[in-house]
Amino acid sequence: MPEVLTPEKLSTFTVSLIGNPNVGKTTIFNRLTGLRQKVGNYPGVTVDKRYASLKMGDQNATIIDLPGTYSIYPNSEDEVIVHRVLNGLDKTSKPDFVLAVVDMSSMERGLFLVTQIMDLGLPMAVVLNMSDTAEEQGIKVKAHQLYKALGVPVIQTNARSNKGINGITDLISQQMFEKPVPFLDTDQLLPGDLSAKICERFSLENSYQAYQLIRFHDKEPILSQEDNEWLGREVGEADFDIKSIQLKETQDRYAAIQQVLEMVVEKTDIKKKRLTDKLDKVFLHKIGGYAIFLGILLLIFQAVFAWSAVPMDLIDGFFASLSASVSGLLPEGVLTDLITEGIIPGIGGIVIFIPQIALLFAFLGILEDTGYMSRVVFLMDRIMRPFGLNGKSVVPLISGIACAIPGIMASRNIGNWKDRLITIMVTPLMSCSARLPVYVILIGIAVPATNIGPFNLQALVMLGMYLLGVVAVLVTAWILKLVLQFNERSYLMVEMPLFRLPRWKDVVITMYSKSKTFVFEAGKVILAISIVLWVLATYGPSSAREEAMAAVEVPADGAAEEAMLEYQHNLESAELESSYIGIAGRFIEPAIRPLGYDWKIGIALITSFAAREVFVSTMATLYSVGSEVEDELTIQEKLKSEVNPKTGEAVFNLATAISLMVFYAFAMQCMSTLAVVYRETKGWKWPVIQTIYMTALAYVSAFIAYQLFS
Amino acid sequence: MTTADTIKIGEKAKILKILPSELTLNLMEMGFLPGKHISLLQRAPLKDPMAFRLENTVIALRKSEAQLIEVILEN
Repeated sequence: MPEVLTPEKLSTFTVSLIGNPNVGKTTIFNRLTGLRQKVGNYPGVTVDKRYASLKMGDQNATIIDLPGTYSIYPNSEDEVIVHRVLNGLDKTSKPDFVLAVVDMSSMERGLFLVTQIMDLGLPMAVVLNMSDTAEEQGIKVKAHQLYKALGVPVIQTNARSNKGINGITDLISQQMFEKPVPFLDTDQLLPGDLSAKICERFSLENSYQAYQLIRFHDKEPILSQEDNEWLGREVGEADFDIKSIQLKETQDRYAAIQQVLEMVVEKTDIKKKRLTDKLDKVFLHKIGGYAIFLGILLLIFQAVFAWSAVPMDLIDGFFASLSASVSGLLPEGVLTDLITEGIIPGIGGIVIFIPQIALLFAFLGILEDTGYMSRVVFLMDRIMRPFGLNGKSVVPLISGIACAIPGIMASRNIGNWKDRLITIMVTPLMSCSARLPVYVILIGIAVPATNIGPFNLQALVMLGMYLLGVVAVLVTAWILKLVLQFNERSYLMVEMPLFRLPRWKDVVITMYSKSKTFVFEAGKVILAISIVLWVLATYGPSSAREEAMAAVEVPADGAAEEAMLEYQHNLESAELESSYIGIAGRFIEPAIRPLGYDWKIGIALITSFAAREVFVSTMATLYSVGSEVEDELTIQEKLKSEVNPKTGEAVFNLATAISLMVFYAFAMQCMSTLAVVYRETKGWKWPVIQTIYMTALAYVSAFIAYQLFS
Repeated sequence: MTTADTIKIGEKAKILKILPSELTLNLMEMGFLPGKHISLLQRAPLKDPMAFRLENTVIALRKSEAQLIEVILEN
């Protein structure tokens, strides 16, 4: 009989959702938590922790969505997290209860994971999800029998149609989880005295937990070196082959599950061909499959560039006029300047991305949700392999169009390290949405909006920038494949779930929560930089300042209004040039002169090392600092009218603009990406190599571009 | 010895065993177990990877992984 939990209910508790990939875990999570979701990080790694707090009566429940996994033996980074959480290695996220989700139509595999959790001894309940597809395939499960066999509560649901969700809510609010008796006799796995010793040292509850610790101690960054060495010594002394034990455990477990399934599952053979199989004939077709994929990519691009242009223009205009009206309302002074020239343009520079990012996340969400993404993996694997990439690299690379950070994080489900490392190293070369405003502004300035045949020249150049990124990805990956020497087997095992219609509510939730995270994370950095920038652009060493101002020629008394205006402009220019940031820009000018840049662009290069989108706000700041705000010119128009005071020519000609775009396409100008690469590769080696190669690539390519076009 | 990479589209086979390799456990965790029936649904262009039907799931494997699955053809 199952051991019943203490009747004393916890007033605050944590429930972890766990299950195989594609069993509807996230749907259940969304149904339970709605828009309350938050995203955090697990200590020491960047795997997203999606969680939400629910108030149920006088209790506070935190629901955590864990990455999908087939077993608690980790093969990929995602699975390491599951392993760590379930084994209580990470004290801050140890769940009080586990809600294990099983796909009713593949019970065997689901129960494999469930029974492993049972053996760990965690209080749990089982959700049998996707009852609709199971029924279509002639599968019936006697839930009560299953309950009797496992000794933990079992609920049948169909989360897509909301069936059974109330049952889950009740189960959670009443804390009806039960601590199971072990499913297998795991005491036989390890020598008894060894597991006793381990249990004592790490205060573990049973031999299965001890066994888990042994199996993975050397991959676990949370363990101290001392503990690690101790484990290594003990295991060495006991002398046994952990791999063959694990193989035996796997076989025994499946055999035991088979016995349970014979009692609880009824199958009727349904000959009907599944709709998914028919659709796969189309979506995986030799030629048609790729045509569809290409079409979908084009649709995404169209959406990101064309559809989002309208809200983006509105946002841009809004911030320009906000700046103007605020400066009219507030009294003149340093603080007002900071607000209108530093903070408002800074915030505007990030808010303007929201439409694009939200759209991209929505599309990615739909592709994932319908089951199409794994078809792309299937289609692309063989093509990506010669480049040292993997079918699964397609997902990080496509996400990289939105932002390299979720892209790099999505590489975690690539099982082998070499493929994954190469993917991480090249993903930032995909043209992310932060580059888009840079491209948009520069193309608008330098490329005429004429048509070549049916195509708009500006659009073609934009497409060219994206293709340039893709080519750079492939070439760099290929070089890395030749350079990196790892003795590791590259493999691909990916389940292709049933095709389904997207659940729009879930898409909206994902879009909302991901965009929110992105905007706030990036926003903090950008706002801080905008303020620092404004300060550096406003102040400078006083002696240099006076000297520069004095050098400006004062027009004679009674000069024409035009001359007075020019004087004013030259004065402001001199002021900026002698500011701290002007000095920095001047300092690097010799290095960037061959690329066609002046010192003002130099300033933008320096500040946008932190984040590319800062280019726009830097330009906004630099040029608002130089002139009055009330003319409400948007950034593009301001830059277009910028003239080199010495030569009288436009600063942004075609060669400079193209060179600058190429520079922004390749340079590693994103501190957040570097931070993520650091965390994902667990050291500074790879992010440093990445920064060096990308910057070199950017410099050389921009130089070539400038020479070609000037 | 027949391995799963030689199955033709539409053909059915029964898994005899998973050959020893570092991927043996991964394959078993995914549900490739002795006694199970598999069939080949699709091959990607360039014949690789292959999409196998395993009971109610479809799993894509590369040829090199399919070579680890020893099978006996059934029709």
